[in-house]
Amino acid sequence: MKLFILSILTIVLLPQLTFAESEYTLDLDEIEKKPHSFGGYLEVRPVLLGFDKDAAFYKLKLYNKDEGKTGEEYNAKLQLNASYEKGIAKFYTKINVDMQQSYLGWSDKTSVFEGYLSLKPSSSFIINAGKKTMKWGKGYAWTPAAFVDRIKNPDDPNLALEGFISLSADYIKSYSGPLKTISFTPVLLPVYDDVNDDFGETDHVNFAGKLYLLLYDTDIDFMVLAGGSKTTRFGFDFSRNITSNFEIHGEFAFINNFEKKFINNTGDIFIKEYDAKSYLLGIRYLTELDTTFIVEYYHSGTGFTNGEMEDYFSFINTAYETYTSLGNDSDLQKALNLTEGNYGRINPMKDYLYARVSQKEPFNILHFTSSLTGIFNVNDKSFSLSPEVLYTGITNLELRLKTSFLVGESNSEYGEKQNDYRVEFRTRYYF
Amino acid sequence: MIKTLLMIFALALAVPAYAVDGSTLLEQVDRNLNPESYEAYRKLINIEPNGNRKEFVLFTVKKGKDKMAAVFILPASEKGRSTLRLDENMWLYIPNVGKPIRITSFQSVVGGVFNNADILRLDYTSEYNVDQVEENDDEYLLHLKAKTNTVAYDKLKMWVNKNNMLPSKIESLTEDLMLIKTLYFKEIKDFGDGIVRPSVVETDSPLYKDYKSIMIFAKIKEKELDDEVFTLTFMPNMESLR
Repeated sequence: MKLFILSILTIVLLPQLTFAESEYTLDLDEIEKKPHSFGGYLEVRPVLLGFDKDAAFYKLKLYNKDEGKTGEEYNAKLQLNASYEKGIAKFYTKINVDMQQSYLGWSDKTSVFEGYLSLKPSSSFIINAGKKTMKWGKGYAWTPAAFVDRIKNPDDPNLALEGFISLSADYIKSYSGPLKTISFTPVLLPVYDDVNDDFGETDHVNFAGKLYLLLYDTDIDFMVLAGGSKTTRFGFDFSRNITSNFEIHGEFAFINNFEKKFINNTGDIFIKEYDAKSYLLGIRYLTELDTTFIVEYYHSGTGFTNGEMEDYFSFINTAYETYTSLGNDSDLQKALNLTEGNYGRINPMKDYLYARVSQKEPFNILHFTSSLTGIFNVNDKSFSLSPEVLYTGITNLELRLKTSFLVGESNSEYGEKQNDYRVEFRTRYYF
Repeated sequence: MIKTLLMIFALALAVPAYAVDGSTLLEQVDRNLNPESYEAYRKLINIEPNGNRKEFVLFTVKKGKDKMAAVFILPASEKGRSTLRLDENMWLYIPNVGKPIRITSFQSVVGGVFNNADILRLDYTSEYNVDQVEENDDEYLLHLKAKTNTVAYDKLKMWVNKNNMLPSKIESLTEDLMLIKTLYFKEIKDFGDGIVRPSVVETDSPLYKDYKSIMIFAKIKEKELDDEVFTLTFMPNMESLR
């Protein structure tokens, strides 16, 4: 009888016990480390653009095209990451493929964003050789002291950027006491034909360095770049939590003998040399309702003044009139040559304010994050305003709907952009 | 005089018979939960009211009283993200963004009921003092108070099983004793090398009604780690520790 009851109990209880044990499991296969890894994402991003046909940048870039009120872009991006690790050595690469079908036609570009060999003889010493992004600076939208990085786009600061070919090392030392960490990162960056030739003047080996300190719970960096491809520059940044949900950060950059190239309204080109000082101050604040505020003020010592920008826009307008009346586009070509990396760079003027408010799961709508981003040009009072909604409810899938409205008077930065608005829907799948 | 001395002696004998040293108990709980320096894998599962689940797998390392780091292994969208905690400083490193950004203890890098302080948990003794100890036949109830106001929860109530000196339940409370969340420690497992501890921690919260988050532990083992591992400069290399 006892045996019978035991058997019944076993039959009744065993499945429940088994269920209890298997309800939550961590499959060891999931955590097995392989020497190689492979991943990335695929992205599709259609864009609708509302043209401003009276804007200087429309006249400059589309003067010989007959576009309607709106234009369409169909963008696709494939980003592949792969790595192989053996002993103290690791090879890592990130390849980016951009494809675009737009009102300008088809274009595609494949770039090796990163591809470097990393040697880690100990936790305190790491050597990297190859193409790598350094990602210096503490600013969210702008990083004036990131001397060995490409300029990021404040409209989408989280996008991966292409690196430069370099030889670098990290030496790290930890302590107890107010100075908790000190690390030094020296970088050698050669610039020759076909090697980092878009960094600056060729035929130089540049030296850059970053000294990092965690001192009194404050992150502090000192940076330097010298060597000839660009003029010598020094930088400093910091970041610190004032309270657990309130962070402040800042950056300062001093650029020795910066050469500013600018044009007057009749097309004469001038070069002015001076020591430029750029700085940024920012905060990040998180409320108990999961609202994040990021605010940054940026002063660019290399930026153009109101008058310089007005001269540039005025020259484009005159050049466009010449083209429409005489069919001669040489002045527009002259302006175009001066635009690339100069007037045409992201936020080319002196003073900007960035403000972003994002709310996680607003009104308890699961997996949605809504944000509103404003970039204000303090000098000419023009601005862009970008509301967006992000959905992350499906594992490895990210959907983002973003619109941007560009507002400004004539002769202002955002007022003279070629678009008045843009709407984009980004679908990104990670694998 | 002799009477006074006898009285003092009697009192001295009487006190140890009733008082339990809360700090020693809490230290014991800390060491039973994990070695002072260790590595471990964890799966975090967020379960929504409609039954939908989101899962994350992390590799974590801890050293001493104030250093903790984690790197995401799964899912693909989070892979390579790492978090670092040095005392009350916390950073998040996202590979694409690059530079580590400071994060707060009460937000959550994975969503769900677990916040960053739960995921990057240091020893309880490093953040809390024991205010009071109650006991019955089976359990101690420790009333813990945060050492500083930067700690995520002002107060904790920790129920500790007397047999194995492991927590069975922890309530996280505000200064005014409002309940923020409850952690349930379940499924005690032998991880080897004398590490016997709950392998599953469940949590729910009156602030997240009908939500549940689960943390599953695997491969916990003692590990010697350099201090330099717990630095911002090392964060991009966190996965090499696996």
